[in-house]
Amino acid sequence: MNVSKKNGSYKEAITEIEEILRQLENNELDVDELSEKVKRVSQLVTLCKEKLHNTEQEIDKILKEMDNN
Amino acid sequence: MAYNLSVKLRNEYHCLTLAMMNERLKLSELNGLVKNAVSEAFTAPIWVIGEISELKTNRSGHCYLNLIEKEENGDAIVAQARATIWSYTFRMLRPYFESTTGKQLTEGLNVLVSVSVEFHELYGYSLNIRDIDPTYTLGDMARRRREIIARLQSEGVAEMNKELDLPLVPQKIAIISSETAAGYQDFIDQLIHNPAGYHFDLKLFPAVMQGNQAESSIIGALEQIYLYENFFDAVVIIRGGGSQADLSCFDNYNLAYFITQFPLPVITGIGHEKDDSIVDMVAHTKLKTPTAVAEFLISGVAQFDLHLEDLNNRFIEIVTGLIAESKNDIEQIARVIAPLTRERISKANNRLNQTIWKLDNSVKIFIQNRNNQLRRKEEIVRYEFKNFAQLQLRVLERMAISLSGILRQTTIANHDRLIRKIQRSETLFKGVISDRRHQLELSMQMAQLTDPNRILARGYSITTYNGRALKDSNLVNSGVLIEIKLFNGQLISEVKTIKKDN
Repeated sequence: MNVSKKNGSYKEAITEIEEILRQLENNELDVDELSEKVKRVSQLVTLCKEKLHNTEQEIDKILKEMDNN
Repeated sequence: MAYNLSVKLRNEYHCLTLAMMNERLKLSELNGLVKNAVSEAFTAPIWVIGEISELKTNRSGHCYLNLIEKEENGDAIVAQARATIWSYTFRMLRPYFESTTGKQLTEGLNVLVSVSVEFHELYGYSLNIRDIDPTYTLGDMARRRREIIARLQSEGVAEMNKELDLPLVPQKIAIISSETAAGYQDFIDQLIHNPAGYHFDLKLFPAVMQGNQAESSIIGALEQIYLYENFFDAVVIIRGGGSQADLSCFDNYNLAYFITQFPLPVITGIGHEKDDSIVDMVAHTKLKTPTAVAEFLISGVAQFDLHLEDLNNRFIEIVTGLIAESKNDIEQIARVIAPLTRERISKANNRLNQTIWKLDNSVKIFIQNRNNQLRRKEEIVRYEFKNFAQLQLRVLERMAISLSGILRQTTIANHDRLIRKIQRSETLFKGVISDRRHQLELSMQMAQLTDPNRILARGYSITTYNGRALKDSNLVNSGVLIEIKLFNGQLISEVKTIKKDN
């Protein structure tokens, strides 16, 4: 499945996680940076999971506005 | 037959000419003549090709149509005729046509029909349809389809919607369907109740999904979605229905062209078993049924989710590995460091102890040396004094011996003189002895007097100030503490008054 400019946050999250993984696999990360990265990845994964499973209020609002037009 | 027809027509024309010459006809009489002429001219049914431009059925089941012929390569109508299919014929013809072609018998179709040409005095010219050849329509539709496809391809637009990228997570879906369409509700349920619990934002843009209005209705829905182009991830066009469903509206050039130009990927689930429609062909993704579309969307989201999980797992695995590695490293370092440190500490400790011991020793030796020196000096003083005293004694003894010798010799030579001399010498000797003894005693006394303890014992005292013997009252001020050492013990006293000698 190709990727478009849409759902940027998903794409950015995946790209960022992939970059962190790449750094990890190439030993470019310091152990001191690790805890920060662990926090970041967990944050990104949670964010995506949240978006995958839950309604965003903003989107609901837009959908309701369509009915009024 | 052409010959017969022309003869008949000539006869009719003859009658007509006669009638016109002799009398004025009523309209009905004229129409009757036309009717006769027509019925005589067209005795057998004729196969004719036409496009259905209108089709209506009334309550009694009769079908009323309008057939037209358009200019080749154009839209101008060059001929038209009203037509009817009586209900008993229509009841047979319609299912036959529709089951053969898979299309509804409706406006826009080119048909080959067997007609009897009729003329009615009141209703005028019309064609009564008695038979229909569905294969013609099939061929015609196939030709038209090919033409539309060729046109889209020659315009270079056929693949344009396919070239759009489907978003990574297709979650915001614009649906074009009819609320009452079979499959629509199932589609919604399937998405909302997907087992993984993914969230979808669904919005229906209702449209007519079959017949001639479908084209403009679906394009209208697309135009509405276009207003929210940036919001939606994809458009789905869905319609349930079996093989009987008429899909001709999806073989429409305008609709297909509109989809190729649409900025969002279009996914179709139009519900057919046979050939794909042109809309399917130009759509980004074509699927057979609404169910398949729902599965496609869910699997798209799931694929992302899986990828996310995979990345996360890989990440956790690597991090866990790294932590274990670091822990191992630290443990190894700790194993090396602890004994090393202990060794260093004990070395430093030893050196310190050695230094302390050496210092202690050298201090002791130093003190001992000093003590020894002091004692030696004391002994030297004592020894020298003893020597001196013995020497003096020996000198005296030797003097006494020599004197007694001299005396004895003198006695022998001159006894009297000796006696006198002895007497004199005795006196002299006594005097000398006493002097020497006195001297000796004095010396001894002096020696004893130099012992400070003796002096102290006699009641003298040593006054010290700041550890030094105080010999001058000018060296202290009143109020200072001075130490007075007595033969037995010492006093610490404060100076009250200072008296100077002069």
